[in-house]
Amino acid sequence: MAASRPPARAGLVRSVVAAAAITVALLYPIPFEWGGYIYYETVGFLVLLTAMLGIGWNIIGGLAGQFDFGPSIFFAIGAYTAALLSIHLGWNAWLALLGAVVVSMALCAALTYPVTRLRGHYFAIATVAMWMIAQPIGATWSFINGSQGLFIPVAAGGGFVHGLLTMEFPGRGKGLGFYYLCLLLFVVILLGARAIERSKLGFYFRAVRDDQDGAEAIGIDSRLYKVIARCLMAAIFAAGGTLYGFWALAVFPDQVLEVNWNILPMMAAVVGGLGRLWGPVIGAVILIPISQLMTATLGAGPLAGRGIDLIIYGAVIMLIAGWRPNGLLSLPWAEWAARFRRRPAARPAGS
Amino acid sequence: MRILRLAAVVVVLLFVAVQLSPGARAAGPVTEVLIGELLPLTGNFASLGQQYLWAGQTVEDIVNNDYPDLQVPLGPGKGFPGLGGAKMTLVVRDDQSRGDQARALAEQLITVNKVHWLNGEGTSGNTSIIQPLVDSYGIPMSCHACASPTLTEKGFKWFWRTGPNDSTMVASVFQFLKEWPAHGGPKDLKTIALFTCDNLFCQDNRKIAADLAEKGGYKIVADLTTKTGATTLASEVQRLQSANPDVLFLVQYPAETTVFQADAKRAGFMPKVIATSNGAYSDQTWLTAQKATSGAAGWLGRDPTAIDLASKKASWKKVNEIYKKYSRGQDMGELAMREITGMLWMADTINRAKSVEPAVLAKAAAETDMKPDQMIIDYKGIKFDANRQNVLATGVVTQIGWDDEKHTIWPWDLAAQSGFKPIFPSPSWQERETRSKK
Amino acid sequence: MTLFLQAVADGLQMGLLYALVAVGLAIIWGLMEMINFAHGEFMMLGMFGAWGLSVALGWDPLVSMVPIAVLMYGGGVLVYRLLMRRVQRGEVFTQIFATVGLFFFVQNGVVALFTSDYRFVEKSLLTSLSGANLTFGGLRVGIPLLVGGLIALALFLVLYLLIDRTDFGLAMQATAEDRDAAMLVGIRPQRMYAVAWGLGTALVAVAGVILANFFSVYPQAGLSFTVLAYAIVALGGFGSILGTLLAALLVGVVQSVTAAYLPPAFKDAFVFASYILIGLFRPQGLFGRF
Repeated sequence: MAASRPPARAGLVRSVVAAAAITVALLYPIPFEWGGYIYYETVGFLVLLTAMLGIGWNIIGGLAGQFDFGPSIFFAIGAYTAALLSIHLGWNAWLALLGAVVVSMALCAALTYPVTRLRGHYFAIATVAMWMIAQPIGATWSFINGSQGLFIPVAAGGGFVHGLLTMEFPGRGKGLGFYYLCLLLFVVILLGARAIERSKLGFYFRAVRDDQDGAEAIGIDSRLYKVIARCLMAAIFAAGGTLYGFWALAVFPDQVLEVNWNILPMMAAVVGGLGRLWGPVIGAVILIPISQLMTATLGAGPLAGRGIDLIIYGAVIMLIAGWRPNGLLSLPWAEWAARFRRRPAARPAGS
Repeated sequence: MRILRLAAVVVVLLFVAVQLSPGARAAGPVTEVLIGELLPLTGNFASLGQQYLWAGQTVEDIVNNDYPDLQVPLGPGKGFPGLGGAKMTLVVRDDQSRGDQARALAEQLITVNKVHWLNGEGTSGNTSIIQPLVDSYGIPMSCHACASPTLTEKGFKWFWRTGPNDSTMVASVFQFLKEWPAHGGPKDLKTIALFTCDNLFCQDNRKIAADLAEKGGYKIVADLTTKTGATTLASEVQRLQSANPDVLFLVQYPAETTVFQADAKRAGFMPKVIATSNGAYSDQTWLTAQKATSGAAGWLGRDPTAIDLASKKASWKKVNEIYKKYSRGQDMGELAMREITGMLWMADTINRAKSVEPAVLAKAAAETDMKPDQMIIDYKGIKFDANRQNVLATGVVTQIGWDDEKHTIWPWDLAAQSGFKPIFPSPSWQERETRSKK
Repeated sequence: MTLFLQAVADGLQMGLLYALVAVGLAIIWGLMEMINFAHGEFMMLGMFGAWGLSVALGWDPLVSMVPIAVLMYGGGVLVYRLLMRRVQRGEVFTQIFATVGLFFFVQNGVVALFTSDYRFVEKSLLTSLSGANLTFGGLRVGIPLLVGGLIALALFLVLYLLIDRTDFGLAMQATAEDRDAAMLVGIRPQRMYAVAWGLGTALVAVAGVILANFFSVYPQAGLSFTVLAYAIVALGGFGSILGTLLAALLVGVVQSVTAAYLPPAFKDAFVFASYILIGLFRPQGLFGRF
């Protein structure tokens, strides 16, 4: 069995995997809808939401290599803008999402440009600073009702299709509806991120990441591209925030600015592999179900209230970090697959 | 591409099938009543969540075991007599004080664990997030100790609350202050300062207090909203000091209250009256810690029951004993008391309904008319208005005395029973130090 | 005017306490550039240590400071050897990821052992002095906070001398600046990092021990102080121990003065806004070296 695998076969493997992934993604909630176990659809929703946010974060963190620890402000801006547009102006959810994205990008550009003077960890603290400034604004600004939150009203009635058009699922269609809404946004964002990665923009981002001074030397305005990267992230987070707002039907400042929205997308990207397109997706698929599973088993029953599930969760994270510091996608998958099939790894075409 | 087209066809077919299929239904007699407990057991609100958990475990114990002399619903006898002795089982989930977790786990409890009643979340903010969800599934839900008035004002059909909300709680304090001059109290309390943290709980209280203060003819000389988790309040205390209020209305969590006390002590700041509602005043550990320094003597606030009188009630004592089994020896705090009362009401309702069908439960809940003698708490009873809020949930106003225990000072009939003369003015820091050293 | 001056005085006092919390981070992150999300949790462990020993053995926190420091030094070295050393092989972001895991692990470990109740150190030298003041021309200075502040200053001085005036300190700085070059001259980077982690953890645990005299002890106590600590180290500038101290004082004063005149809920926000403002003019902080 010394013959090398022809390139066409490798392509076939890839499209089978792709088709399988797409089928799973599309059909995932159906069996749960049948059995009435809606919760698992919501887990799917959370996975996709985190993956989406992770892809967004990957643009500024993975591609452009900047430390952004305060992306949740754009999640919050998105959620609040969409909520306000929906409540006060009666806008449709999708229009509100567009509005949220525009506002978020505009604010991001205005806020980020000045601080691009700072580099590395200094920049990181500047992003944290923005987050810390956002918190009392969220808690005390009466226009957004401060810490008492905004509530999005849901009109009664309306079927599934109506729900997809307005993000309102008054009845039991919530689980299914939001899963597919999130899947749609996720696919759009994934394709967009892939396009960015392969475009000139992607090259500029990576240049800034790998050697900022070198990039400047050949005429790349690092400050501009840092801002662009962050604004792309802000747009995605705003979309996520809008989706969250309509899912939770309530926007509270301490919840949309919660520290988890800062670190979870980043964690997903790191676990999967920083800078890789599918990294955050792998990361989200691993992290969310693990934490949900542990909450349901170790955090319940007689051990409840002791935080045992979080202890184990923390230990698992440390194990992954120590074992694969470059992310799980850095594992030599192709080699392993080849060894499993007892064939040498595919040699490049033409050899 | 052919694979994709095939997949799309399959999806559409399955989709259609889903819309036509009925949901799963459980059948057969009920042997276990599942009560979902969705609580913040870790994260920022963990110190509250754990008390709710212990309260739940206490009620589970009371219902499932035979306590023949215990005069509370389902005390004697094992299980639910109305359901043939079925037992009560808590299904506990920790949402880490996060809204998204609360939302997801509520759905888990309802659709996977198929709980019959959802108890939670314990904080008003996260409870608001799960209300629309529970309403869409149509099972009963309660958060007895959640205090935000909005929870029962948004028209949710499945949310029941036996405990009072902030409006009634803060109103009791102001009612006491209003009636005090006629009962031997000071007649010259004119100015008030509001001192609250910046989250939902504190701000709800602040708005109500500001409103009542104006109506009561007080002049608001300072209205400071502080950062939750503040590490120092020295400047804030300075501002309060220069405003020189007669009454300080303070709503803060235990950690910030401790910081306030230390800073106030250094500055020598002590208004004539310190009034509060919930927060630190409801926290057992903070109250216990005050014993060493008499730091809370003279503080007055709202309580659900006349604790000094209740602890003479046999049922209160017995329930406290059971509670201490789960709380590692901590006495029932007032939060736990509200929650236990509510959950015992829930058990009673399930028992009266003789069913776990949501519609039947709702009907039994609506028909509730529980009398005070069956409760460990001083509500006038349990009876719900159209918003499913218990209208007989009152409370008392208590004050902490030099013995570092709470004494009832309002309403006046109960105050007469407790025989405690309110402390006025609030003792200075030097006096506290001298007296606590004795 | 007294309001302002008293606010400045109060701010300086709190600044010294913040400096105490930040000094450990100044070594691990400021000098060696390793991100530690769990910094506050080590402080919290110090608080619990002080409380535990006070309750179990009646030791004053000023006494238990020493054994706790030694123990936590070992803990820090252990964390480095078992976890962070491996994590260093990867991206910088993995350090945050790993220390997030550490954060969950430590905080909830304490919840499991002690519950989330609030605890208080009741009998100690500093608590017995609570409320005692020194007055300088109309300004109050609280004695217990002053003692805490003096301990902070002493630790800073020791640390400054260690990092800037000894060969060992120079070796640490060298490793931080250029690990490979340091290896070429015979410095073992692993050892430097381990010591940095040990020292940093020990120092922040000592901060916790002192703070336990003034603040409630509970598992979630780390958060409020840590975010400020990060701002302080960055504001002072990476690589500068004295910068951290000065930044801490500045932060304390800004916080205190803004709370005296502006809505108090925004006091930390103003601290962070000042960070951004200063950063615009001095992108390397006040005294940053890199």
